[in-house]
Amino acid sequence: MSLAFWRLLAPTLWHRAMQVSRVLCVAVIAVAAQAAAARTMDLTTAVATVHVAGTVSQATVTLPYHWDRAQATRGGEGVFEIRFSVDELPREPQGAYFPRIGNSYRVWLNGYLLQQAGDPERANDQDHAKAPTYVPVPAGLLEIDNVLRIELRADDGRRGGLSAIRFGPASQVLAEYERARLLRVDVSLAITVFSLLVGMIALVLWFTQQDASAAGAGRRDNIYLFAGLAEISWALRVGDVAIESPPLPWPLWGVVATGAFAGWICCTALFCHNLAGWQHTRSMRWLNAGMATMFVAALTASAVSLTSIQPVFLTAWLGFANLFFVMYALFYLGATLRKPDTARVLVALAGLLNLVMGIRDWLAVRINGNYADSTWIRYSSVLFGIALGYIVVSRFREASAQARDLRENLARRVQEKEQQLQQSYEQVEQLARSQERASERARILRDMHDGVGSHISSAIRQLQSGKASPDAVLQTLRDSLDQLKLSIDSMNLPAGDVTALLANLRYRLEPRLGVSDIELKWDVDLIEPVASLDTHHMRQLQFMLFESLSNVLQHAQARTLTVEARAQEGGAVLRIVDDGRGFDSSRPFSRGLLSMQERARAIGAVLAISSAPGRTVVEIRLS
Amino acid sequence: MREFFAASVARCEGLALAGSVGSVAEARACLDDPARVVDVLLVDLGLPDGSGLDVIRHARLRRPACEALVISMFGDEDNVLASIEAGALGYIHKDATPDDIAHTILEMKNGASPISPMIARRVLSRYRALQADQAASATGMASSRARAVPDDGEKVLLSGREQEVLELIARGFSYAEISRLKGVSVHTVQTHIKSLYSKLAVHSKSEAVFEATRMGLLPQMR
Repeated sequence: MSLAFWRLLAPTLWHRAMQVSRVLCVAVIAVAAQAAAARTMDLTTAVATVHVAGTVSQATVTLPYHWDRAQATRGGEGVFEIRFSVDELPREPQGAYFPRIGNSYRVWLNGYLLQQAGDPERANDQDHAKAPTYVPVPAGLLEIDNVLRIELRADDGRRGGLSAIRFGPASQVLAEYERARLLRVDVSLAITVFSLLVGMIALVLWFTQQDASAAGAGRRDNIYLFAGLAEISWALRVGDVAIESPPLPWPLWGVVATGAFAGWICCTALFCHNLAGWQHTRSMRWLNAGMATMFVAALTASAVSLTSIQPVFLTAWLGFANLFFVMYALFYLGATLRKPDTARVLVALAGLLNLVMGIRDWLAVRINGNYADSTWIRYSSVLFGIALGYIVVSRFREASAQARDLRENLARRVQEKEQQLQQSYEQVEQLARSQERASERARILRDMHDGVGSHISSAIRQLQSGKASPDAVLQTLRDSLDQLKLSIDSMNLPAGDVTALLANLRYRLEPRLGVSDIELKWDVDLIEPVASLDTHHMRQLQFMLFESLSNVLQHAQARTLTVEARAQEGGAVLRIVDDGRGFDSSRPFSRGLLSMQERARAIGAVLAISSAPGRTVVEIRLS
Repeated sequence: MREFFAASVARCEGLALAGSVGSVAEARACLDDPARVVDVLLVDLGLPDGSGLDVIRHARLRRPACEALVISMFGDEDNVLASIEAGALGYIHKDATPDDIAHTILEMKNGASPISPMIARRVLSRYRALQADQAASATGMASSRARAVPDDGEKVLLSGREQEVLELIARGFSYAEISRLKGVSVHTVQTHIKSLYSKLAVHSKSEAVFEATRMGLLPQMR
């Protein structure tokens, strides 16, 4: 209250100071130019003729004349005659500054119309009482004794009336007027623009920022919604000062203005609650309901106050709102202090300051009924906008930091996955290698068992039995060494190359062929590698051919041996033909022939043997 | 084994045993001794103090006229090819009879080198790789002419006839069959083989020079 009191006193002090300085100035000027010393004066006494609801009353009144107070909120028309004298006629232009006049008015001086705003004959139309008014007065109109006549019309509960008038030289009065206008109108407009901007940004953020997480898919952040609504409401409420011709008639427009104010405080409370992170608590539901009620109550109170001409409803509502917000602010402040963060502290402080301003305004405007005064809360409300701006910026910074973290995290995890992949790839490769080694080992073991091993063991048996001739043992051992050489060669044979296999076999058997009397006819074509033969198959084929050739060399008593190889449809046909004594091919096969059959099956080859005295053919078909 | 080969040589009329040693060091000392006459070298690859390949390389540098044969257990292509590149002109199987041994030595002196189909195949592919390298490095030379036309620095690696002979050997044909098929003497076929071996050895000569420099046998290049 002391602050408000100071504010009320301030203009008086200011004028005192100004007057002193002016007196000094005037003294200096008087010496220099003998100019007429003009004085500013406050005109505070008027004879008022008031028409309200058909009755006329006349009285001498002291300005300011607060119509709502003087006439119990009942509108009407009034004529105020103010008589004043000047010491001498001024040469410079004069002016009158009305801190508040309206709602519509005409200003006359000595019978001349100086200024008109709105139509004093039309009720509930324009409102010119919201902004201060300046009326220029030509110096020539002024006389020693003057009559300032003001006709005005005040609407029900629209803060009409007439404030004290400051009259004097235009240069001085205009400056005073402009300062008042700056504070009440220009600053209000700036605040309106700011609030609109913040509100729009908040609404756009609310509309575009959707929670992408699975839990809150499609959900928008209510902080932005309430901040946006609050700021838009506030822009309307504060911007109203510049709206002289509202789009709606009074008192409907009055309800709208109250609604805008109520919208602002209710949405601000919801914004604060959301910001505190209480949107999922029970208190949020209570506050939602409470604020909705309060908003509706504001509209109702305003409507009732204005239509039934009972301002006490609106005053009571404002008082109740103040009380509620005092409690809410204390609660919020307490919670904020228990768990402080910058945004919440900022909002709590803004709320507190606005609350103080709200109470001050309520006391000054609604309770005291100070006519010239206007609300201060419009200035402190900016803090909410600033707090919101801070929140948006800090959230954006947080989000971008999170995005950066996420990106780095992702890059790191991709790297880890790559490493894991590399490791598992290496493991697989190692496994494949060891499998290859294992199968290679198995192949060699089988080879040793079938080839060298079996020959050496039969050589040992031959020696142990004592029946075998040295030549037979020698033959067995030579076979063993040949098998070993063939086994080694088979490792180097290109897979599927039947020609190379045959050539190699001939080379290895050459010493034996050389000592036999058999003539070899080599009829081997160059055959493309057979795709179906792998290393193991090559070795099996080698065994089969070796067996077959050995049979001819050892048992056939042939004169010629023909080896044929022909390409055939991606495969090959190999034939071993001799002109020996032959054998009965229908007889159950010998061990050697049986093993040849087995090997043929194992590699998917077709073995055909036909034998008659003079011609035995062993044919192997590979496909 | 060493005694067996020494005896096999000694008992042959056309051959005289110049000496028999059991290590790389001894063999080198022997080759470095100008008093000794060594025409043919029989080298086992697995020696107690190193590889027989070192002995062959040493012989090639010190006694270019000396011809080396490798004693191989299996006549397997890896060892035989390595020996040929080191400078050997043939190989003898370890299980060969004494007559075979003497026969192979004399044949080699007469200009014939033994070859197996497997080795022929490998030599062919080796030459093809070398030719491809040359064709790739010879700028502006049509690839179809790469094989037939000599480059001025590098000799043509394989003549057409040599290649045909190698291909037939790889298919298992004997020298006699090849001479019949190609209408040339068996001796000509055999000399083709021997010259092939020499060429292979020449191609690995740059490596040999490097080796010799490393061993201190040639003056260090500046």
